[in-house]
Amino acid sequence: MQRIGSDVAVGCGLLAFSAFAAWRSLGIRGQSAGTIAGPSFLPWLMIGAIIILSLMLVLRARRAAAAASAEAGSRPAPVDHGGGMKRRDLLRIALFAAMLVAYSAAFMPLGYLPATLIVFIAGMLLMGERSPLKFFVLPVLITGAVWFGFTRFLQVWLP
Amino acid sequence: MDYLAYLLPLFQPQVLWAIALGTLGGIVIGALPGLTATMGVALLIPLTFGMPPVMGINMLIGIYIGGIYGGCISAILLRTPGTPASAATVLDGYPMARNGEAGKALGMATIASACGMLFASIVLATLAPQLAGVALKFGAPEYFALALFGLTIIASLSGDILKGAISGCLGVLISCVGADPISGVLRYTFGVSGFASGFSFTPALIGLFALSEVFTQLERLGRTEETPAKVSGRWPSYQDMRESANALVRGSLIGTIIGVIPGTGSGTASWISYNEARRTSKTPERFGTGYAPGIAATESANSAVCAGALIPLLALGIPGDVVTAVLMGGLMIQGLAPGPMLFETRPDIIVGIFGGTFLATIFMFVFGMMLIPIASKILLVPRRILTMSIVVFCFIGSFAINLNPVDLYTMVGFGILGWGMQKYGFSQAALCIALILGPLAEANLRRGLLQTGDDLVAFVSGPITLLFLGLTVISLALPYLQARRAKRAAA
Repeated sequence: MQRIGSDVAVGCGLLAFSAFAAWRSLGIRGQSAGTIAGPSFLPWLMIGAIIILSLMLVLRARRAAAAASAEAGSRPAPVDHGGGMKRRDLLRIALFAAMLVAYSAAFMPLGYLPATLIVFIAGMLLMGERSPLKFFVLPVLITGAVWFGFTRFLQVWLP
Repeated sequence: MDYLAYLLPLFQPQVLWAIALGTLGGIVIGALPGLTATMGVALLIPLTFGMPPVMGINMLIGIYIGGIYGGCISAILLRTPGTPASAATVLDGYPMARNGEAGKALGMATIASACGMLFASIVLATLAPQLAGVALKFGAPEYFALALFGLTIIASLSGDILKGAISGCLGVLISCVGADPISGVLRYTFGVSGFASGFSFTPALIGLFALSEVFTQLERLGRTEETPAKVSGRWPSYQDMRESANALVRGSLIGTIIGVIPGTGSGTASWISYNEARRTSKTPERFGTGYAPGIAATESANSAVCAGALIPLLALGIPGDVVTAVLMGGLMIQGLAPGPMLFETRPDIIVGIFGGTFLATIFMFVFGMMLIPIASKILLVPRRILTMSIVVFCFIGSFAINLNPVDLYTMVGFGILGWGMQKYGFSQAALCIALILGPLAEANLRRGLLQTGDDLVAFVSGPITLLFLGLTVISLALPYLQARRAKRAAA
């Protein structure tokens, strides 16, 4: 039942994405050089396919929800848009994703060592690690060892 | 004589070290539940960037072979398959471990994996050059039909055909970002110059298959972990080997055939092989109770897929499964385009890969047997440290290829996308393969239309084109027909 609810939400999300992609495709300029297949040919084909398939996904989920609720009496099907995930887990994952975007932004200006160390420690704390040996000492050792291995042995330049 | 000369670089100490290290790393990655061979290959592709092609590619093949084999360790000791390929091994492996025969079960799995791989490696070295010879005659319509077949079979085999198809279409649309392959017109770059050549493939792969697993691990944090079974002994008995001989041969054959079919993969092969072994056994009731032939059937099949899946990748440029799709990224960063032309232009690489597959199998067997007594220790790696270490590797790996910070955002974006797809039942494999085949399909479709003056008939004529289009229709229709038959049988 959770999957049915999330399929409707995902299908609607895909339709919104298709509308956005269609809007951006209008801006593709270019000569098709005497052929039906110009630079926007495949994007339009794919957008059309995604729209049709997303509608099919939504319809299939609605039909399955109707069948399930008919089977369980007239009780309406519960809709879960989080794929059965607890709010606390979702918040942790959202914070983690935000931290990774910040890490991407800080990688060049801050440099590998400080940026990685901060993210490693923050990540360990976010995952619930409370032992100082594990959330501080090990990250320092691992970050240093990885830096040493990549820059000295593999000759990879790191900022 | 040339072929022997092409094999010589494999025996240089640094190449042997790279293959051995890759195989050992693959075994450890495969053994840890949640870390897959695909993730291992994606994560370590950047390490091979500065290596000579034969060394780099064979290191990745070592990770692939080791990773698929390593999945059996946690399947047997924890009842949790390390990789999806080892799911069927749980059925007989875990009961054997519970009966105090964990060492014997791991020994049987190691022997079966090595046999399956060796058999499939011989088929790879024999069949791939023949197939490449045929593929050399392909023109634009044939390549378009082949790419279309590759895309549809992957969508249709990803469990839910509708979601598989959406994943594939999404992958093709994402592959359109950047300059168009025929006229060079920029598409969906949003003014970011870093996207002019499209999303970098390797950071996208690292995000899809490695970073997405980090998010999945975050979800699993609260769960209690099982304690691995104790391991004693190592070698299966003579009777076990005699009883398993048929399952082993049949599994190797099934795995190789399934590996050649694009989009199927190790998981499918091991289930089919297990069912076949039980169906043809004189004692089918012993399967599922800790019976060695059950392990022989699954492990020989899933390992044979590794070499089998290399056949369409090398000969046609079409990945046989999701790991070979990632492996294709490894070939591409070495400046090599897999496909029939590679057999003509770089036979040294092809022969090197054939030889490297054999060497990785030998290393897998040696390390596998050596690690049996300490196998349970591998599974005790602290999860949080491991998760954060993967994050660090994802970032360094994505950055090291082009030294471009835009690649970091690409990797994080694909990581979130991959996790979302996994969570809602969409196919990351279909998206990944569409990212590869999308440009191939577009370039050949448009080139073909240009050459023929928009004559669509050219795309449905010719025996090879018709064969691939026919297979495309069958691969799309088959899941529907099977579902209808199942519904009718249930009624």
